[in-house]
Amino acid sequence: MYRLFWTPEWFNGWDITFGVVGILIALLIAAYSYKIHSVTGKNNFGYFSFAFVLVALSLAIKGFTTSVLYFHPIREATYQLLQPALTGGSLINDLFYRGAFFLHMTSMLGAWLLIFFISQKVRSRLKRYYEVAQIGLFIYFIFLISWVSNFKGMVFYLTSLVITSLIALNYYKNYLNNKNKNTYKVMGAFLFIALSNIFYIFVYFYEGMYVFGEVFMLIGFLMLLHTYRRTMK
Amino acid sequence: MAARRSRLELVYDILLAIQNKGGTIKPTHLMYKSNLSHKLLNNYMEELIGKELIFIHEEEPKKRKKRSTKKVVITEKGLNFLEEFRRMREFTDAFGL
Repeated sequence: MYRLFWTPEWFNGWDITFGVVGILIALLIAAYSYKIHSVTGKNNFGYFSFAFVLVALSLAIKGFTTSVLYFHPIREATYQLLQPALTGGSLINDLFYRGAFFLHMTSMLGAWLLIFFISQKVRSRLKRYYEVAQIGLFIYFIFLISWVSNFKGMVFYLTSLVITSLIALNYYKNYLNNKNKNTYKVMGAFLFIALSNIFYIFVYFYEGMYVFGEVFMLIGFLMLLHTYRRTMK
Repeated sequence: MAARRSRLELVYDILLAIQNKGGTIKPTHLMYKSNLSHKLLNNYMEELIGKELIFIHEEEPKKRKKRSTKKVVITEKGLNFLEEFRRMREFTDAFGL
């Protein structure tokens, strides 16, 4: 059976719980951003909302796939559902996991890249032709990286680390301009998400690193929630 | 040069000017405070009255020969709009949008 990496057995289930927390926070931010988009009609709010929907989707796919791996009843139910397609035996089984992890990686990388573009603070950045071309090129790279990561998982976490670090840098630049404490907290949240990717990179050498990665990712999302709540006061 | 204000920002500025004056303001003062021409302010005021964010209160003159004075008053809905707009602005600043 194909697995992206091995995780400590005692932690099985906790990562899914953390993922559910992340999904709820991402959907909360996406919903509010969409609300602003519908009031103001500005595209960047729509893109921001879409980016967080992608984050939620990515976490949901990961949560579902790992729950199939961890828990016997879910594995049985999924097997029953996919049985008509499982004539090829382990090959189809592998394809299911590879496909699921591919979708998880594509949506996560797509989300980070979209947030990176939005946090750049360039006027009408998404209207210009050359930037649309740039986005097209980046989308191609996302698919390429996600494909390669199915064979060498470390590539996905390395790319995530680079993009989330650049997002944190963008927010630091924004903080220097507006001196808003909440912007600083968003920067901190993305730093924690970037740090989580460092731990994920080393999961291929020591599986215990997965726990640190998940905890840091959770802290990042909780910081985003904290910032969101502060802006709502 | 400052960027042009969006339609929503203009509405926010009008309502904020009324709120800063304790919820009631004379139309002329509102024109100066919100930095709008007479014609433009009237257009916006009509829209805001239609959406029940403000209303016009006419005060009876204290002396016989004087004309009645008009005052623009912000409604509860208008105050709620201001609060929501502040939240939106805070969210926008925090998330760099």
